[in-house]
Amino acid sequence: MGSSPKPELRRSVTPWGSFSWGYSDVGADIFVGLGLVLAAAAGASNVAFLFAGIVYVSIGLAYTELAATYPVAGGGQYFVLRGLGDVFGFIAGWAVLLDFTIDITLFAWTAIDYASQLLPILVGSNHPWAHFIMTLLCIVGLCGLNVLGVRESTAFQGFVSAMDVASETLILCFGFLFAFRPDLLIHTMRFDWPTPANLMLGTSLAIISFVGLESISQAAQETQRPASIIPRTSIGLILTILVYALAYSNLALGLVPWHPIVDVHGHPVQFWQIFPNSYPGGADNQGKAVALLAAQVPYYGALAAFYVPVLGAVLLLISSNSGVFGSSRIAYAMSSTNLLPSIFQRVHARYRTPVISIVAFCGVAVLELLFAAMPSLDPHFVGIYDRFFHGESGLDFLADLYAFGAATSYSFVFLALIALRLCDPLSPRKFKIPLNIPMTFRGERVEFPVVGIIGFLGIFSILMFTLQTHPLGRIFGPSWLLLGIVLYFSYRKRKGLPILHSQKRDWRKAQVEILRSAGELELMDEYLANLKASDERRAKAQTP
Amino acid sequence: MIVYRALLATATAACGIVILARMAPYGLRLETLPGLVLGGAMIGLGVHRLRLIARLRGNAR
Repeated sequence: MGSSPKPELRRSVTPWGSFSWGYSDVGADIFVGLGLVLAAAAGASNVAFLFAGIVYVSIGLAYTELAATYPVAGGGQYFVLRGLGDVFGFIAGWAVLLDFTIDITLFAWTAIDYASQLLPILVGSNHPWAHFIMTLLCIVGLCGLNVLGVRESTAFQGFVSAMDVASETLILCFGFLFAFRPDLLIHTMRFDWPTPANLMLGTSLAIISFVGLESISQAAQETQRPASIIPRTSIGLILTILVYALAYSNLALGLVPWHPIVDVHGHPVQFWQIFPNSYPGGADNQGKAVALLAAQVPYYGALAAFYVPVLGAVLLLISSNSGVFGSSRIAYAMSSTNLLPSIFQRVHARYRTPVISIVAFCGVAVLELLFAAMPSLDPHFVGIYDRFFHGESGLDFLADLYAFGAATSYSFVFLALIALRLCDPLSPRKFKIPLNIPMTFRGERVEFPVVGIIGFLGIFSILMFTLQTHPLGRIFGPSWLLLGIVLYFSYRKRKGLPILHSQKRDWRKAQVEILRSAGELELMDEYLANLKASDERRAKAQTP
Repeated sequence: MIVYRALLATATAACGIVILARMAPYGLRLETLPGLVLGGAMIGLGVHRLRLIARLRGNAR
């Protein structure tokens, strides 16, 4: 450790603060994911959410265990760096960075979609320039606020989360009590089952409703006694998000709309049928599905129709902001472990914020916005997109890349979980994923996580679905990774650092420091005792 | 705040019971599986939150 103390984050987040931190990030995802999945997976949308939800629970448990064991802000990137080494740590971090930049654009875009429910001047297909300019202003505004170091307070996040949990619970209660028909759900699933390709597409899009678990580890960094608090709040968070995703999809398929919905010929249609691109305004509807559903819930919908668009837009803007904040923080963490150039660690002289990181990744987000919005802004581009990108643009483009980045980084996190269980069995784990096989590995008793294998197979299959069914995801996702790998190799070569191998690091010392700064002194003592016992066992084994 | 959270937790669990009760007559098959899982998860979430609240009240005393 250096002699001059480095400034550290204050650990002042309470259990509710920790929950709301995660909720304001992951909770917003269903506002984006629901319409996209209903458009793609039709009568099997709930099955798509169920499959993605099972994978998500495994990911959530993995993050909970890892964040409670290693409470540092780097999140998935740090776990992979520690478990699999520098190259994979970089790839996982670079994939997370892609997700954060998409997060900025996608959530700003859908925040405007939700606002358009009350302000029709912002509807994307009718007023593309107004929609584009407002989204751009949101991104630039969030960038500016982050450079100035202004963040929404934990209290504000807590307030919005509490409002949203109450609102969603009420919508679902009223919906399931007064508008849900199980026979309609079963009929829809039987007669509107999608093609296998559309089911794969829907499942890969459903995973975007569960992205943002990095926030668990970010909260861990700022929570006092994280090993005790994080498992409690994370499990509540995981269950809450899972319940909402499953509930909305089941309700949407079995909903009898409060106000009958008709198509252009005047024929009545089911609620979920207003989301496919074939329905007039379907593409616009995809971006504000929760607001549309809330308005169709009997009785309560009269009130919900007015406030859900506003609540949705606020929650989505908070989530967009977490993309700006998260990308700069991950870049800072990667830079401090020599995975990215030190320029990303540079802080503004006056505001003490990582200005280069913030501006650079907001710049990437603006490029993504331009690419997504171009065909709607200039009809000349429609032909080019049709020819080269299967006509995909707008929300589809952003969702493609979001799913790719999430599936890639989560795949590595599962591998890191398994690697750390095998290579670092001495770190005390206050929370351990259930279903483990005890075994001996390199002379130490370890527990092999079966859930890690199940989760990896699940998320890897979603990654394959993404590559198979997302024309843009399979071009731009791997291109982003390739660009990053080239930058990484050239940077490491220039700095004289090992390119394919990892730098030597003293993980034991690092772990002691992590537990000490987290206030987990009992765990620190336990870790030191484990190290001592292990060293003595090894010394004994080597003595002839 | 605790009363508000307890009410939400109770509403969630009750909603889960309603869903299970309405899906149960259709038996266990692919079409009912997501609904049954949802009902179970809602009850689980409600109970989990109520247990946390009970623990919090226990600590306060």
